[in-house]
Amino acid sequence: MAATLCVRLLPKQGWLPLTQTVRHGSKSVTRHRRPMHILKQKLMAVTEYIPPARVIPRGAYPFQRKQVQEDSPLVLLMKRDLKTVFKDSKMIAVVQNNASNAEEIMVLKHRLYKHGITVKFFPNQVVLSFLKGGLHSNMAPLFIGPTVLFVSKEPKAKEMLSALRVSQHMTLLGACIDNTLLSAQAVVSYSKLPSVSVVQGELVSGLTMLTSHTASMLQRHPAHLSALLQQYVKQRSSDGGLEGAPKAEEAT
Amino acid sequence: MAASTKATVVLKAVKKITVQFCPFESNVRSTREFLVMVGSAKARSTNINCEVVPLVKHDKSVPVVDITYLDGDKLVLKGAQLTSSEMINAFQSLCAEKDLQAKAAAKK
Repeated sequence: MAATLCVRLLPKQGWLPLTQTVRHGSKSVTRHRRPMHILKQKLMAVTEYIPPARVIPRGAYPFQRKQVQEDSPLVLLMKRDLKTVFKDSKMIAVVQNNASNAEEIMVLKHRLYKHGITVKFFPNQVVLSFLKGGLHSNMAPLFIGPTVLFVSKEPKAKEMLSALRVSQHMTLLGACIDNTLLSAQAVVSYSKLPSVSVVQGELVSGLTMLTSHTASMLQRHPAHLSALLQQYVKQRSSDGGLEGAPKAEEAT
Repeated sequence: MAASTKATVVLKAVKKITVQFCPFESNVRSTREFLVMVGSAKARSTNINCEVVPLVKHDKSVPVVDITYLDGDKLVLKGAQLTSSEMINAFQSLCAEKDLQAKAAAKK
């Protein structure tokens, strides 16, 4: 070991030396693996850890306790977001996009935002774990591959379909409108339906057609009405005579 | 190996690819992955004239990929029991054969 001497003052008789020599040839804590002394090597080899022998081979029996992995905070945040999405929105459409670039997505987002439809991206695993055992668990098979969610409060299927027709890379897989699961063709036919008020009006008019007809007839002039009724009775009697003959023929 | 030796799918000598599947079925994963790989930007850039048409149906039918080549040949891949890598390998091997044939014909 090399020993270095620091400054050495001339010591007077009997005094302690003012300098102290310090060996600093080699360190014990190094950045590389320090070569061990052969005796130490032998000792380490002899005293290696030998684990106790397993009674049951590894993997023979399944794990007793259930391996529950807790969700990370990001996943929890995304699940909270999903929950609000599913609660607030009436229409949730699942679309697969193969290779749309950022520009196309931006244009599509802009076009849909004008109609109140938001475009959401969620990882499939998070969505699947969220949907498992919930109300919308039947939507689970849709979430494979690169998927995008189109979410809106009002079910505006026509505008969504027109926007999707323009973008060639997006394919509509299915949608959940008003808690009803619809396929792609069903969404198309849903978009072709008239609005609720129009349908209700048609239904009401169909039901009240007969009564309105009768009411209008009764409101006419009584002479006109009596003439009509006489004509009707004549027709019935003539028809009844004609009908009676063919019915008798059929019976025989 | 997730895909064939080349990362991209070469679509030369292909006229049209129709991918038909029903997303609510359980055997659709490989067909959808095939669609993603074939419809990717790189694959489309190899042949801009090739059309990739996805058809979404809801009739419990088997997922089918219909490929029409430029010389009129057709390749039908039924994706219910195949993995996406197998489908791509089969498709690419046939494409390579067509390419060789076309090159030989061009040389003559």
